[in-house]
Amino acid sequence: MTPVQAILSGGLQGYILVALLLFVIGLATVLLRRTLLMQFMGVELMLNAANLALLAFGRFRGGEVQATAFYLFIIGVAACEAAVGLALVVVLHRLRESTDADRADLLKQ
Amino acid sequence: MFLVFALITLLGALAMFRQRNVVVAGLCMVLTFFGVAGLFVLLANPVAAALQIIVYSGAIMVLVLFVIMLLNSHEEEPAQSGRLVQAWGGALLAAVLGVGAVKLVLQSRTLHELGASPVPAPITLNKLGVQIFSEHLVAFEVVGLLLLAAMIAAVSIAKRKL
Repeated sequence: MTPVQAILSGGLQGYILVALLLFVIGLATVLLRRTLLMQFMGVELMLNAANLALLAFGRFRGGEVQATAFYLFIIGVAACEAAVGLALVVVLHRLRESTDADRADLLKQ
Repeated sequence: MFLVFALITLLGALAMFRQRNVVVAGLCMVLTFFGVAGLFVLLANPVAAALQIIVYSGAIMVLVLFVIMLLNSHEEEPAQSGRLVQAWGGALLAAVLGVGAVKLVLQSRTLHELGASPVPAPITLNKLGVQIFSEHLVAFEVVGLLLLAAMIAAVSIAKRKL
């Protein structure tokens, strides 16, 4: 089976490709958008891409339960990151009346 | 089915990236999370799919949408300065990474060999519970403590006067 056929029929290559493209889109969102909330969503997208790759490898290495256990811990950490990150965005908006990442440059001046 | 969910995931992510309105971008993000949950089901892993929908599409996106509506800043603000070098550098980096990823996946022999493995039995909640409470008990407790610490941190950061 050629790689392209494997991707179209849902082989391991297909999942890894989707995960990598998802990661690239998330990275582009973080790098190119200026709104902090959009950048935050880009980070979530990258985390999801990593989870997808982890579970795809878990499935194709004989249905490892270990991968799902790690996935559980990863989303626990992601939830913590979401709570603290959004609290920081709220405080920044209160201080500067803006959610633009370029305007939070006090440390640079 | 794989193609359907992969397209839902990637188109949702692209729509989020292109979207000017932050609320609509958040809803596109929910679509992406549902696509990923569908891919988890196809990976013989219904537990992870359920967790994905409950935690990401449910909890985290509700949190994000609440903050968006609380801050009342739905559109991207006009740029202070052009920063053309950074913008084109970022776009170039993302494009190079994307092309490199596609090339790497198409050429990899290891992925090809691993991909031939048969479909395993689906992961059940029972198996996952046994695994967590027999091998990862400390990590499980630490994650619980971390969630508590993050909750206290978020409250103390966001509250005006403690």
